[in-house]
Amino acid sequence: MPSSSYDLAEKAIEEGEKLGAQYIEARYVNSLMNTSILKNGVPELGAIARSNGIGIRVLKDGGVGFASFNEMTKDEMSIAVAFATKMAEATGKRRSKKIVFSDEKIHEVKYEALGESGKRPFEVDPETKINRLMGIDKLLAELKTNAIIPFRFFQMLDETEKKYIITNEGTKIESEIDRLQLFGIIVAVNPTTGSKEQIMIQKGKTGGLESLDYWKIEDFVTKEVTKLSKIVTESKDAPTGVIDYVVGPNVIGIMCHENTGHPTEGDRILGREGAQAGESYLKEDMIGQQIGSEHVTIIDDPTLEGSYGYYLYDDEGVKAGPRYLHNKGIFEEMLHNRESAAWMGTNSTAAARAIGFNREPIPRMANTYLAPGTFEYEELFEDIKLGVFMNNFTEWNIDDRRYQSKYVGLEAYLIENGEIKHMVRRPVIETTTPKLWGSVDAVAKEKYLEFDAATCGKGDPMQGAPVYHGGTFMRIRNVEVR
Amino acid sequence: MIMGNKVDIKNILDLTANKLNSLEFDDFTITANRGNRSQLRFADSQITIAKNWASLELGVFAAKDSKTVAIEIQDLSENSIISALESLEKLAKSLPPNQNYFGISDGPFSYPAIEYLADTDFVEFHDQSIDQVQGAINAAEAEGAKRSAGVLAWEVKEEHLLSSKGASVSENSTSYEFSIRSFVDETSSGADVEVGRLFSKVDFERAGARAGEIAKMAIGGTNGDPGKFNILLEPRVAADVVAATPGAANPFMVDIGMSWLKDKIGETIGPELVSVYDDALLPNGLGSKSFDDEGHPTGRNVIVEKGILKGFIHNTSTAKKAGTTSTGNAGLVLPQNSNIFFEPGEHTFEELLELNKGKPTLYITNNWYTRFTSYADGIFSSIPRDGMFIIENGEITKPVRELRISDTMGNVFKNVIALGKEIKQIKSWEVNVPTFIPHVLIEDINISAATK
Repeated sequence: MPSSSYDLAEKAIEEGEKLGAQYIEARYVNSLMNTSILKNGVPELGAIARSNGIGIRVLKDGGVGFASFNEMTKDEMSIAVAFATKMAEATGKRRSKKIVFSDEKIHEVKYEALGESGKRPFEVDPETKINRLMGIDKLLAELKTNAIIPFRFFQMLDETEKKYIITNEGTKIESEIDRLQLFGIIVAVNPTTGSKEQIMIQKGKTGGLESLDYWKIEDFVTKEVTKLSKIVTESKDAPTGVIDYVVGPNVIGIMCHENTGHPTEGDRILGREGAQAGESYLKEDMIGQQIGSEHVTIIDDPTLEGSYGYYLYDDEGVKAGPRYLHNKGIFEEMLHNRESAAWMGTNSTAAARAIGFNREPIPRMANTYLAPGTFEYEELFEDIKLGVFMNNFTEWNIDDRRYQSKYVGLEAYLIENGEIKHMVRRPVIETTTPKLWGSVDAVAKEKYLEFDAATCGKGDPMQGAPVYHGGTFMRIRNVEVR
Repeated sequence: MIMGNKVDIKNILDLTANKLNSLEFDDFTITANRGNRSQLRFADSQITIAKNWASLELGVFAAKDSKTVAIEIQDLSENSIISALESLEKLAKSLPPNQNYFGISDGPFSYPAIEYLADTDFVEFHDQSIDQVQGAINAAEAEGAKRSAGVLAWEVKEEHLLSSKGASVSENSTSYEFSIRSFVDETSSGADVEVGRLFSKVDFERAGARAGEIAKMAIGGTNGDPGKFNILLEPRVAADVVAATPGAANPFMVDIGMSWLKDKIGETIGPELVSVYDDALLPNGLGSKSFDDEGHPTGRNVIVEKGILKGFIHNTSTAKKAGTTSTGNAGLVLPQNSNIFFEPGEHTFEELLELNKGKPTLYITNNWYTRFTSYADGIFSSIPRDGMFIIENGEITKPVRELRISDTMGNVFKNVIALGKEIKQIKSWEVNVPTFIPHVLIEDINISAATK
């Protein structure tokens, strides 16, 4: 990292203090990104993005100001510090409830999460990357199935992000993280009926190009598209009525993220995202309440090695660890930054994340998952008379209080008298969060634990945060399907 | 590259062009955009944060032997630009040719004049921004709201473009975006947006009052029943679920299976009363601009005429592949909409209410989280939020909650039966493309509900 950028960040702290900032942080971020886009086998674009800048956040007189700049001059820095300080003061003076930040332990550390030697994003030449991507696409173009695969789109994105966070409280966090993401959308068509199914593939991991081998990406994509072809050509109507469901890691993951991760974000509970991402059905005084069954323990842990949402210290310099959002069904912890924590008279849970130098740190998820249970996979199905096994999902959405959600299955099978039978098409779970978590009566063992990567959207301007979500397999009893 | 306090944009453009020429790229476009954007966010009727972004970004699209590459740089030291462009050349060498690439737009160019892109009085925005937000919050409270949350953002921007085919053009613009969501209680809320480019047009109090009014109307809402309904949509809902269809008239999205309009050009996809344009020339339009990312002049292009899908938006390459000409909608990777404009209808809001006599009808004032089971078939669902009401005998009778629009985009567009006569510009958290659209009445739409 250029020392001049460090100097500029450090000078910003000095200037902010001179202007009377109660708290000032400077976050320098340097990001190098490479993207390859492949459309139906044709390399549509190779792209590079280089971003470099400093974000300044100030707390003064009960108000918060934020300013960022990327023309790395002392003048630009001074303007940004002056704006952030002046606007914190101007807005703070008008507030009847003054903003404060929770007191947290100060850390001075340096850490990194890098790809394997020789496999780091900038170490692998672009030709190798595009050839790997084209190889995946070629497998699909040549795949023999009963369906037609007319649409294939892939995007591979690698990134090296260097960050230096400094505050007037003494925090100094320096980090360097490599990430790799692969996104794909593939459509299969039934040649007889014209009926279509789509699959969106998103893989992501902290690390370099070795992640593609970790995922066994060629096998994975081929298997998923083979299954997609079977869904569009062989699946039958899904059953209706009151039935049981078994859902796989991919479905559990999105449920943990949407039905629990988001409503436990402290800023949403306080109404700070009211006009955008919404609020929460959970309230501060509901801590300790039973939300789900005893089988439902949902953890968000930024420190999972190799995870897509990995970090050891958040963007306010608070040390991260696992957060038990729900513990045996009880609403236990929230995702807090220092502002939301202070409102509730508690401590940050190190959830402050800012996606880019030009964004403010707000409470976010990192890696959210359902803690494994004690069941073998086969045991989940044994006493189900009529049900659906939904292994992954396609459409989903949830209201902005995170109370009523809908998940439409993609790879799904009928369960009859304890046995997995034929594929069923687009089964739906459309129910409330308490009903969903309250109906879970069995969770499979840790050996089945899997994670998916996603980009979580929140904030204004939008901040797309890399996250993991996952679980093993779980059984949901008595779901009403119309 | 640093001239006094600021990086000099002309020097950056020249340096970049010279380097691209020396690296023997066949085609290129260079964009350099400097912006100063500010934002006030508020919640619980108080400002939570004030933000400012000073930004300067350099973007390059380039082709060499039909290998297409792009770069975005925010690190604008001379060394960084030179090394980035050398990396770009290395990247181009490593790629196979893009068989979908047919060049960029060739000059000479003549650009359209667009009214009201920039407001010279915009500097007043900074001084009045806090009072403007407070005025809207007060207006919501006057209607009965207990608390409001929202965002005011405003921007001054200069955009420059240089291409290897003779384009050399600059444009200045100003813009503001205001959204407010007001609550009377935990689940009774209303929202509105107000966006544009001219400071003189700002009326955030109106938006605040409307958000407060809807919130108050929503008090006492009960869970609705699923079934088939006629739906009357506020412009901000229509801008998402009705404008999605002209928004899908994009050849890139068709090519990757994310549009439900494949092979539909020339077909009737909606009623005769619906005509839609992509119009980059609209005065006060947030998507208005005189040139696209190739430096091609923009214009007004018909997408749907009297219910018939007439064409897609194009850049030079997608147009040549389709046997037509560019519509001036080039984005860095794929064609991009400017403003989507719906021709207004002839009905007042009261008349739209009257049209529903005898049919179960929902009036939906806001929505979010539109997601697709199948883009290629347009199968989706979206969740109404804030005030939602039953219309009976031409009147709004009672608030309802916890319902979901679960249908296809094709049905939504095809089943439009009436349009309001007043159009409103929408750009919001859910609607990225600035959309000018009135109230829209649609028949026979499937509404689902969560089971308990």
